[in-house]
Amino acid sequence: MLEHFFNPGSVAVVGASRQPGKVGYDVLKNMMSYGYQGQIYPVNPAATEILGIDAYPNLASIAGPVDLAVICVPAAYIIQVVEECAARKIDSIVVITAGFKEVGPEGARLERELKDAINRYGIRMVGPNCVGLIDTASGINASFAAGMPLKGNIGFFSQSGALCVAILDWSLAEDIGFSKFVSLGNKTDISEIEMLLALSEDPETKVILGYLEGINDGLAFMDVAREISKKKPIILIKSGTTASGAKAASSHTGALAGSEAAFQAAFRQSGVIRAHSINDLFNYALAFAYQPLPKGPNIAIITNSGGPGIIAADACDRSNLILASLNKETVDKLRKILPPIASFYNPVDIIGDAGAERYRETLAVIQADDQVHAILVLLTPTAMVDVAETARAVAELAKQSPKPVFASFLGKKRVEEGRKILLREGIPHYNYPEDAIAAMDSMYRQRLWVDEPPRTHLCYRADRDKVWQIFDRVRDENRNQLIEAEAREVLQAYGFKVPANILARTSREAVAAANSIGYPVVMKIAAHQIIHKTDIGGVILGINTAKEVERAFFEITSRARDRAPQAPILGVMVQEMITGGREVILGLSKDAQFGTLIMFGLGGVYVEVLKDVSFRVAPLARQDAHEMVREIRSFPLLRGVRGEQSADIEAVEEALLIMSQLAQDFPEIVEADVNPLLAKSRGEGVIAVDARFTIRGA
Amino acid sequence: MVTLYVSSTAGYSGKSMVTMGIGAQLQKDGFSLGYQKPVGILPAEVENILTDKDAWFIYRFLKLSDPLELICPVVITQDVLIDALREDMKGLDRKIVKAFKALAINKDVMIVGGSGSFHTGSYMGIPATKLVKRLEAKILLIDRYQGDFYLDSILDAQDNFKESLAGVILNNITSEYMSDVQELIVPYLEKKGISVLGVVPYDPLMASVKVEYIAEQLGGKVICCHHRLDNLVEQFLIGGMQVNMFLEYFRKSKNVGVIVGGDRSDIQLASIEGGAKCILLTGNLYPNDIIIGRAEEKGIPIVVLSGDTYTIAKSMEKLSFRIRLRETEKVERGVHLIKEYVDFDRLYAKLGLKK
Repeated sequence: MLEHFFNPGSVAVVGASRQPGKVGYDVLKNMMSYGYQGQIYPVNPAATEILGIDAYPNLASIAGPVDLAVICVPAAYIIQVVEECAARKIDSIVVITAGFKEVGPEGARLERELKDAINRYGIRMVGPNCVGLIDTASGINASFAAGMPLKGNIGFFSQSGALCVAILDWSLAEDIGFSKFVSLGNKTDISEIEMLLALSEDPETKVILGYLEGINDGLAFMDVAREISKKKPIILIKSGTTASGAKAASSHTGALAGSEAAFQAAFRQSGVIRAHSINDLFNYALAFAYQPLPKGPNIAIITNSGGPGIIAADACDRSNLILASLNKETVDKLRKILPPIASFYNPVDIIGDAGAERYRETLAVIQADDQVHAILVLLTPTAMVDVAETARAVAELAKQSPKPVFASFLGKKRVEEGRKILLREGIPHYNYPEDAIAAMDSMYRQRLWVDEPPRTHLCYRADRDKVWQIFDRVRDENRNQLIEAEAREVLQAYGFKVPANILARTSREAVAAANSIGYPVVMKIAAHQIIHKTDIGGVILGINTAKEVERAFFEITSRARDRAPQAPILGVMVQEMITGGREVILGLSKDAQFGTLIMFGLGGVYVEVLKDVSFRVAPLARQDAHEMVREIRSFPLLRGVRGEQSADIEAVEEALLIMSQLAQDFPEIVEADVNPLLAKSRGEGVIAVDARFTIRGA
Repeated sequence: MVTLYVSSTAGYSGKSMVTMGIGAQLQKDGFSLGYQKPVGILPAEVENILTDKDAWFIYRFLKLSDPLELICPVVITQDVLIDALREDMKGLDRKIVKAFKALAINKDVMIVGGSGSFHTGSYMGIPATKLVKRLEAKILLIDRYQGDFYLDSILDAQDNFKESLAGVILNNITSEYMSDVQELIVPYLEKKGISVLGVVPYDPLMASVKVEYIAEQLGGKVICCHHRLDNLVEQFLIGGMQVNMFLEYFRKSKNVGVIVGGDRSDIQLASIEGGAKCILLTGNLYPNDIIIGRAEEKGIPIVVLSGDTYTIAKSMEKLSFRIRLRETEKVERGVHLIKEYVDFDRLYAKLGLKK
């Protein structure tokens, strides 16, 4: 895939320049400097020769075939160049030129024209407004970045060109190699999705790394990423998810940023490892590029000092990792080889006078322990330790075992040589133990993802016609909000149990209603315009007698008249009072990039303050519902605390799946919540007490 | 005994304020006073007696001791409303007259407070036009003048009430209308035979609302400075713009309540530092602790509301029209305004009262 971009037989640099400092000069120079074996054709109408090779006035005048055109002419000439490319049957172009939608409406118009042109001619394009692309295997450097990355197995794409340049520079200093390096620019044609596919098929790439500001098609992205991430780890940094970040991102690339919750959910559901900082991005990349995935969560820490060991143990505790309990045989063996004042339990402290040999022996013993899935070696540069020798010993042993080994040699000057050795030998090294633990944690999560059974989707029976009729009526009446009774009907059509409910226009009717429902009852104001009923005192719970019903009717209607004088009152809703059970919330909202989001949270009055909620992108698989319920911090309350019975968690999960199906069946629902959904004890199901729906207007 | 029926061209014109102002003056001038609100629209229960919220307040304000159940004989509860729509209500006027007669015993003056406009109550058979006749009252019309089309309602009232119309009080006249009113409207009405018994100017205090009331009416959560809920807000500003622009507007306004999204900490801070009277946060978003701490320090209540900014601002506009009688400083001010700007000599003459 995208073969002509990464391994072209010949490349034309359109807009090649003789003038150092110009993009067209740098691109040509880069093309010529890093061992690319194919033909290079500089195109410049004013030059006969650039950097010692023949230049061509235009594409037409090149005799041989051209596989890839790298274009750095001013934006005004871009369409003309594309047409020349089409005439020469060039099917792949990299447009480095800037001045498109990122500069305003005029640029946006030009970009649309460009898109139309390449679509018309069947040309694929990277860019515009990009730094270019690099493939270390074929030696192609079609970019104006300064330098060439080392060969390696990390495939990187970025929506920000500047970040490409900075990362390239950083990787050179850190000795980290890349397979491919792509600046996506405005993503007018080739987007992150195709880049993911290309990198997934690339034998040189073991880890896929990316920086994204926005995603063109959220659901397609999830489908592709979900497939690929099972085979190759995808580590992405997504910026612009905070309010300020979104503003910056929108003005940067003109892309609408999806919400943080949506990205969090989408990445989780498609196995994308999310890096929250550039630091994380590379820490994780290093781990995946150099080490195999651990088989499980148990890690062992070897250290020559107490403090860093404890810090690492703390970090481990905050992660999904577990500090392994070492086998008795392991402890016995350690006892034999370590001084008596050493610590034989995890973290294994081989104390300050340890030399390389003691590290070697200890590591060998730990590697043999079947309780341990991954190992972190810590070192503080004491006077007694030979840092370089230790690094070599660690690297040598690590190579002999399938268990991943990570290192963190603390300090700077004295450990520098050891660090270099480790990295050269393929041992991920981190300056701080916390970073090492975070990277190990990301690998363990990838292990979980890879091992996860296939996702299953369920389909529930529903009376779609009924819902369709209700929505039709709402639209006919030029509304976009469903009244309570309609919301309840929708839920019922999808198999939700709802409390008995009767509208009473007078207090006499209310008493009759309460008598037929049975006490206790709940009474609520029924008025279309009053949405927040509780806020105006329009809800009274726990009404036990006919007398109380009369009183409540009077109070509720009088309060509504006083507080919301403009809202016509239909009457009062008399409702069965559901007692017992735990309140949860189901929500449905739309995200600009991923479509429908389903939310789950514990209900009750503090929910808005605690924000203890989880999100997933619809459609939900069973696993998603399972995770959503368990992801919230207050999950133990659902499972039952202090001898309490567990709530019917399976029924809650099912309710989430039904919401997801409702969202799929009726994309016109833009917002909905079922609040509260009462989860009764295990086996007793759930009851939707109240719900709100907003649909797209007519 | 004479009866003065206080009615208006539209709801929320200041009937209660005028009733209290005139009532207080009558009492001060030594008349024995009775009060009735024939039709109540804000049902309330006081000591097991169904009455009207505003009537109950005026009753206490005037320190009356007549049986409370006579004060508001017809209270339109939801039940009554539905019944009236389902079947013709009969006999309500008789009930009112009966209570009125009981109240009127040994009184020099009866003030009758209307509800809504002078048409209100027609569907129950008890509009002001009918009651004025039954109670043999003189009618005083309150008009919150806001442009010449309001004159139509006044002339309409004259048609309806004929010689029962004692006159009108033009209320809440802002400075922009004052010259028009004095130079054109008053002479015009007088020429038409309608006595203008008072021109009450706009008063910022009267147009203000207490933070507590705002929070209560809009169902907001007060999250700090509970002891400053009696702050009075005269104007509202929406903090939707950039801070520097906002400050420009802010400085030009007085006793400001700022309506702003819960996530706009810049505007929130600027409002606190600038001494706003309260901050209304929309979108159900809570501010961060620094903001709350600062507001607490400066004594500026913050109210968290679940509506969006536009909806909140819209409801706020409706709020300020409804002067709440519960606010004592406003009642005092209102009574003072009536005393100051109503021509009592002329009013008394119209009613045939002598001091």
